[in-house]
Amino acid sequence: MKETQAYIERIKRVNRVCQRLELAVDKSLSAMLAGQAMLVRRIDKDYDSENWEPYLRELWFPVEILASNIVVVEHPARTHFLPGQLLSIIGPVGQPFRFRQKLRNILLIAYHTTPAALLLMLPPLLAKQVSITLVLMGSAREYETNHLPEEIEVMQAEDNLTWPDMVMTLGWADQVFALVGPGDELSYLNEVLQLMRERRSDIPANYVFGVLQRALPCGVGACHACMLKLRGSLKLPCIDGPAFDLTELQLN
Amino acid sequence: MAIEIARPGKQSLIVSTPVMPAAGTVGFGDCYKALLDYGKLGAVVTNPVTVEPWRPASGTRIVPLGAGVLVHTGLPNPGLSKVIGQNRRTWAGMPIPVILHLVGTSAEKMRQAVELVDEVEEIVAVELGLGDDIEEAEAIDLVAEASRMEKPLLVRLPFYECHQLALPVAEAGADALVMTAAPRGTARDRHTGRLVSGRIYGPLIKPMILRLVGRLRREVSANLPIIASGGIHSPQDARDYMDAGAIAVQVDTATWAQPKMLERIARDLGGWIATRQKDAFPDEWNPDMGHTEAIRRRAPQ
Repeated sequence: MKETQAYIERIKRVNRVCQRLELAVDKSLSAMLAGQAMLVRRIDKDYDSENWEPYLRELWFPVEILASNIVVVEHPARTHFLPGQLLSIIGPVGQPFRFRQKLRNILLIAYHTTPAALLLMLPPLLAKQVSITLVLMGSAREYETNHLPEEIEVMQAEDNLTWPDMVMTLGWADQVFALVGPGDELSYLNEVLQLMRERRSDIPANYVFGVLQRALPCGVGACHACMLKLRGSLKLPCIDGPAFDLTELQLN
Repeated sequence: MAIEIARPGKQSLIVSTPVMPAAGTVGFGDCYKALLDYGKLGAVVTNPVTVEPWRPASGTRIVPLGAGVLVHTGLPNPGLSKVIGQNRRTWAGMPIPVILHLVGTSAEKMRQAVELVDEVEEIVAVELGLGDDIEEAEAIDLVAEASRMEKPLLVRLPFYECHQLALPVAEAGADALVMTAAPRGTARDRHTGRLVSGRIYGPLIKPMILRLVGRLRREVSANLPIIASGGIHSPQDARDYMDAGAIAVQVDTATWAQPKMLERIARDLGGWIATRQKDAFPDEWNPDMGHTEAIRRRAPQ
């Protein structure tokens, strides 16, 4: 991990709801793997004049890595960015997602958030012939998916968080990653886990992972503001996250 | 430069630059080693530690504010013995003095803490954090108990009671006053809609604490050092506190937002920076900035 500067090289509107930013970054960041993120702060060209609003760094997950120093991130279209904007980046933050060795089918869930934090895993998984299903739940249903690879099956959950053939999908998946929006994230994850427990007799270890996007004030394990209670231990999402085995996580 | 930042009489607490991180911002050990040059700081103050382990707070812990943040962590820590055991080797390798921040809970717990801490030579001094709404008599008991130790005792005063407590605490044995803990406040978490109470950090609290520091400097004995803490986000903020009579400063959450700011302030007040070369690139001026020059040359004008 180190602090580096980057700038927004290109901004591309990919559909009605989201835009993609191409960032020219330090080479160390182009080695990021799915699950890892950057703590980003917009800075002025004159580094001496600091703007403290917003105060904390934002958590940006890469969705694509184009070349040795171009990282793509995705943001809602309503957020205003300008090409040339300088950024201060601390990263990479967190640990890569851990996939099963014999992964064939993977279920991705985005609940009350865009699935951006899950997208970097798509190209390597598709290259390994892994079948991918993405389920959008809650406000994530507003996310448009026409820019995602065609091989991905996208489903929209109903208001009661179920989707057609849900039992079959859960049986089919070798692994599940459930990404939830910030805020009441633990209760969102609890809802996801309950849905699974009602439809699957056993939830083995390392089967369903909750992916968190909580505020990481320091990103280095110093402030302990992001600390999570797991069965028998405490973990820091900025160091050990963002994905945690849902059967280990204390969700109440 | 050598500055003694605690009242003489016990072991000395000498720093090479009057800048250190505030308790709770840089962890127990060297979490920021990849982002900061600890050698440029005056000292390091650990996260708050209690004798017994404390669990993290439930619910929302961070509420972003306009230009600041509300923080409610619950001061999670594995307890004093484990903190010492897990970090002793790291502290021994630190190029600067380590100040352990102890949370003042009761005189009995403080007695246990004093016995443990006095035997740990890697801890150079102790900062005792007094709780908000603490009674004067209770504060005096805690400080009297903590001051039995041979190490210098800094006492961090609560924001709202700092003026009332400063003199009694100094008389009870404080070797320096840290002014102050961040003020408490309440804000609504926009994600959950719930109100959250915690400490308020950000540039806005500096004017309030600056006034308190100036006022107290005039009222307490000149040989009692005051270390200012609260809202420092630039070298000028730190200098303002020094002008108001502080002997040293603690930088709090600015480190989270811009880690190198802590080092920049330390370099500035430590006399590392004399002049800035005309037309210098930011990374020549701020050694943290890495590839700025290359990036700027490629950036659209």
